[in-house]
Amino acid sequence: MTSPMNRRSFLRSTAAAGLAAGLAPSLAFAQDAPLGITLVLPSPLGDVGWGRALADGLEPVKAAYGDKVKVTILENIMEGPDADRIMTKSVADGNKFLVAGSFGYQNGALQIARRNADVSVLHASGFMVAPNFTPFAAKNFEGTYLLGMAAAAVSKTGKLGSVSAFAIPELITSINAFAMGAQAINPAAEVAVVWVNSWFDPAKEQEAAKALIAQGCDVIFSNAQDTPSVVDVCEKSGAYVCNLNSSMKAYAATKYLGCAATDWSPFFLEAVNAHFDGSFKGHNAFLGTADKVEKVIDWSADIPADAMEKIKAKEAGIISGEAPVFAGPISRQDGSEGVAAGAALKDEEIVAMDWHVEGVTTPLPN
Amino acid sequence: MLLSRYQLVRRSSASRRVAILAPITALLVTIVLNFVLYIAMGKAPAAVFYAMLVEPVVSWSSFSEVLLKMTPLLLIAQGLAIGFRANVINIGAEGQFILGAIFAASIPVWVPQATGGWIWPAMLLLGGIGGALWAVVPAFWRVRLNASEILVTLMMSLIATQLLAYLLVGPWKDPMGFNFPQSVMFQLDATLPLIIPGTRVNVALILALVWTLGCWVYMQRSFQGYKLIVGGLAPHATAYAGFSEGRAVWISLLIGGFAAGLAGAAEVAGPIGQLQRSVASGYGYSAIIVAYLGGLNPIGILFSSLLIAILYIGGDNAMVSTELPIAAVRVFQGSLLVCYLAAITLVRYRIVRVVTTEARA
Repeated sequence: MTSPMNRRSFLRSTAAAGLAAGLAPSLAFAQDAPLGITLVLPSPLGDVGWGRALADGLEPVKAAYGDKVKVTILENIMEGPDADRIMTKSVADGNKFLVAGSFGYQNGALQIARRNADVSVLHASGFMVAPNFTPFAAKNFEGTYLLGMAAAAVSKTGKLGSVSAFAIPELITSINAFAMGAQAINPAAEVAVVWVNSWFDPAKEQEAAKALIAQGCDVIFSNAQDTPSVVDVCEKSGAYVCNLNSSMKAYAATKYLGCAATDWSPFFLEAVNAHFDGSFKGHNAFLGTADKVEKVIDWSADIPADAMEKIKAKEAGIISGEAPVFAGPISRQDGSEGVAAGAALKDEEIVAMDWHVEGVTTPLPN
Repeated sequence: MLLSRYQLVRRSSASRRVAILAPITALLVTIVLNFVLYIAMGKAPAAVFYAMLVEPVVSWSSFSEVLLKMTPLLLIAQGLAIGFRANVINIGAEGQFILGAIFAASIPVWVPQATGGWIWPAMLLLGGIGGALWAVVPAFWRVRLNASEILVTLMMSLIATQLLAYLLVGPWKDPMGFNFPQSVMFQLDATLPLIIPGTRVNVALILALVWTLGCWVYMQRSFQGYKLIVGGLAPHATAYAGFSEGRAVWISLLIGGFAAGLAGAAEVAGPIGQLQRSVASGYGYSAIIVAYLGGLNPIGILFSSLLIAILYIGGDNAMVSTELPIAAVRVFQGSLLVCYLAAITLVRYRIVRVVTTEARA
C-alpha cells in the first residue's frame, strides 16, 4: 500500500493486517484449492442485461479451468458500506479474484486491492488503476454508432430517443455515437434523451420510453437498462428498439433492431490466465470491437440492404482502426467545435467525455 | 343459530416465562421452516445457519460490522419511538436521514481544504439540525393545517431523495469525478474518529448509546415524557388536563428528525466518506421495524437494533460464504420477523373460542 487516502483507509488497512493474522490458520488452504472468483453485481441477476453479460463472461473461464476455479456471484449488492464489507468478507474467505461489477464499488474495491497484494481485482467502468487493480469498460460507442446508422435507416420521423441511466461519460459517449451514426445516414436525424438516474428502475424506464414515443420518436435506444422494460414498451407501441450488453430479441419479436453486445469472456479469460501465471498487472482495459468484446448482434431484417452495406463497411473501418467513431469534424450540441477536422478523440478523452454532439436535442443535466 | 369464532383476548398479565420463550420459539420455528427450504435448494443448512446467526456474533470482524450497522438503526429508532408513543407517526426518517447527510456534507463540499478537530462535531450537529428542519414542514402542517404527518413525512422523503440526486448530478458533483453522481471524498478531519482500532466502528456508536440513555431518562423519568405517553394513549384526557397536542407533535417530530439527521451525518462522515446516492439505503424505514420490535421501549430498542443488525450482516455473510441467493436471505429475515410478531402477539393475547347465539336477519 502506497500513500493512504485518509486516516480511515489507513486504519482499515492496519485492521485488515490484524484480521489476516488472526484468520491465518483457518485460511491455510491446500495447494490445489480452487481459485475463488467473486463477481459482485449492483442489480438482481436476470436473464439479460449488464449483470448477465458479466456472469456469462465467466462461463468460458469455468469451462477452461474446471474445478480449478470456483465462481461465486453476489447480486443486488448496494454500492457503499455494504458492498465494501461484502467484498472484504469475500476476500477474507480466501477468494483471490474479484470482479467488482459497478462503478460505485471503486473506493471499496481499491482499498481491498491495496491491502491484499495477492488478490487481483477487475473493476467495471472506473478510472483508478493500481498494480493489482484493473478498471475495465467496453467501447459501447462503437456498437451504438452502428445501431444509430440502422436506426436512421428504419426511422420515418428522423426522431430517435434514448432512455439512459446516468449522465456519466460511458453513457454520454453511447448516445453521442448513436446520434453520429444516425446522422451518417440521415443528416437531419435528432436524438432526445431521458435520464432516469437509476441503474434499475423498470417502472420509471417504461414511463420514459412512453414519453419519448409520445414525442414522435420511432426508434428507442435502451441505454444501460438491465431488464427488457424499454424493449417491451417499444414492441407494444410499434417503435423500433435497440439496447446494450445482451440481446433482448426474445422480448421484441418484430421491432428488435439489434444489440450492441458485450462479450467479456476474452478479457476475463486473459485476466484469469494472468492471475494463474503471476503476470496480472493493473492497467486500463478499454475494450472494443477489435478486441472481440464489443459486437452488434441480432440485426433486424427490416434494415434496408444499402444501409446494411454501409454499416458493415463502417464496422470493418472501426476494427481496422481506419474509421474511428470520434473522428472530426464533430460539432458540440451548441454548434461550437468539439473535434477539429482531421483529429480524433483519444481513449483518455473519450472516457472523460462530458458533452453532447450536435443533433442530441436534450441538454445534459447539470 | 350457534356461531363460533376465534378471538384475540388481551392477557391481564403476560407471564415472564412465556415472554422469554416467545422469541426463542420464533427463532426455532424460523430455523425449521428455512431448514426445509435449504434442503430443497441443495444447500447445507448447518453452514447457512452458522454464517447467518453465529458468525456475526463470534467473529470479531463481523461483530464490529454489526455494531457499525446497528448505530444508525439505534439512533433513528430511539427518536422515532418517542413520537410513536405520543401517537405522532413519523415514517419519513429516511428523508430526515438524507437531509442530515446533505447538511453534514456541506462542510467538506464547500471547504474541502479545511482542517481542524471542530469539523466532524460540527458536521454531526449540522446533520441533526438538517434532519430536524426537514421535520419542521410536517410538524407545521399537522399543527396548523391538520395534515396527516404520516403522508407528509413520507412525501418529504421522496423530495429528499430528489434533492440528493439534484445535488449529486449538479452543484455538488465532484469536479474531478468524471461526471459520476457523487461528491468529493471528504478530507481526513471530516471523517469520524474510530473508537475500536482495526474496525470501522466510530464515535457515532458512543453517541447512539448516550442517546439511548437520554431517551430512557426522558421517556421514563421526565414529566414531559409522561405527557407525551399519556397524550398517545388518551388524547382527549390529555387535552382536558391542559397538555397541548400541538406541542407533542412539535417535540416528537423535531426529536425524531434530529436523531435521523444525526444518523445521516454519521453515515456520510463514517463508513461512506463522501456524499453519494447510496446514502439513501433504507435505514429510515428499517428503524421503524426496529422501534416496534423493541416495543417502543428504549432498552428494548437497544436489543432490537442489535438483532436486526445481526440479521443484515449474517444475511450478507451467508451470501458470500455459502452462495445463498439474496432472495433466500430475505425469506429468512422476513420469516423470522413474522414468527417473532406472531409469538409476541400470543404473549400479549390469548386465542379464545367464542360461541354466540345470533339471530340472522
